[in-house]
Amino acid sequence: MSSSRRKPASTFNKTHGDVDPDRKTVGGMLKKLKSKRSQTEKWPVVTEDELKALGSDISPDHVLGLRDVTEDYLCKPEDNIYNIDFTRFKIRDLETGTVLFEIAKPPISPVEGEEEGADVDISAGRFVRYQFTPAFLKLCTVGATVEFTVGDRPINSFRMIERHYFQGRLLKNFDFDFGFCIPNSRNTCEHIYEFPQLPEDLIRQMVEHPYETRSDSFYFVDNKLIMHNKADYAYNGGL
Amino acid sequence: MGLLTILKKLKQKEREMRLLMLGLDNAGKTTILKKFNGEDVSTISPTLGFNIKTLEHRGYKLNMWDVGGQKSLRSYWRNYFESTDGLVWVVDSADRLRLDDCRQELSALLLEEALALDDIKSHHWCILGCSAVTGDNLLTGVDWLLDDIAARIFTAD
Repeated sequence: MSSSRRKPASTFNKTHGDVDPDRKTVGGMLKKLKSKRSQTEKWPVVTEDELKALGSDISPDHVLGLRDVTEDYLCKPEDNIYNIDFTRFKIRDLETGTVLFEIAKPPISPVEGEEEGADVDISAGRFVRYQFTPAFLKLCTVGATVEFTVGDRPINSFRMIERHYFQGRLLKNFDFDFGFCIPNSRNTCEHIYEFPQLPEDLIRQMVEHPYETRSDSFYFVDNKLIMHNKADYAYNGGL
Repeated sequence: MGLLTILKKLKQKEREMRLLMLGLDNAGKTTILKKFNGEDVSTISPTLGFNIKTLEHRGYKLNMWDVGGQKSLRSYWRNYFESTDGLVWVVDSADRLRLDDCRQELSALLLEEALALDDIKSHHWCILGCSAVTGDNLLTGVDWLLDDIAARIFTAD
């Protein structure tokens, strides 16, 4: 292909392509790099109230300036004029090849999480509650898949920013640019990454304070916020 | 330190590459993607959009894009060219009946007389027999691509 290039907008912390169960062919060649801290710390700080005052024109740069999880949703469900619908979430452990958690919208019947004891309620649509066992925080390499469908108009630029916090501390920032989406398409995206290595005392805190680990998922079309989903997480399953 | 040196250093620091996999429907693009990433390949359904995997391999951030190959989707392929650093054109060598379709689609893609690959002067290329089911040669292929892209964009600019 041509040698012209641009920089993909993906700035998620860390990925690790430890991809083949046959570790001697792939695993040995991969370099394990230290997890980088989120790269948005130097972004100009903005508060939820300031963004709400903006009304309907919230951009990726805005949400990258947030320093804590939002209390409210920054857009309305009806702002999703492109009919983007998330139909599947899946998390797998690449070390063992195990699917830790998978949930899909009907008609595909949901599969309850097994190994790590995940439990979820997606009835509220914009909000998901995850319950994991403490072992989840000790995983090394995970693959997180989302599947989404797109309505009958093409989307030129679709971007997702997901921010995970524990008690106001940013743990992880995912930023991925899907770019163009085909009308009436069904698409998947799996981020394979090295799980952030969290200090022991932080892990203990996260286990002891269920649902204080929270995330905001922001979705933009042509740099305008059109969807905002939330999740919270407990890691005390089985205790 | 010259400007060129600085630019090279910047690109080396990023070490991010985007690979695009295209080919006729049922060629095995999704199977390759899944196999390469250690996923079960026993149930693959037609891709009616794209499948993306982001991973790290040999210190590079790889974004691998697999876009559906059905006829109705091919006109959308062009939407995925822009930021692509390398193309994997997947051919099912057992699908002899459609080998000519395959040639024409690649021709149209490259605006070149394709699969007369010796004539292609504007792109680096390499043909590699492989199996998406066993994974045989997949790593070799991806590594060839990475080395070629790295030589082009990280050092030869």
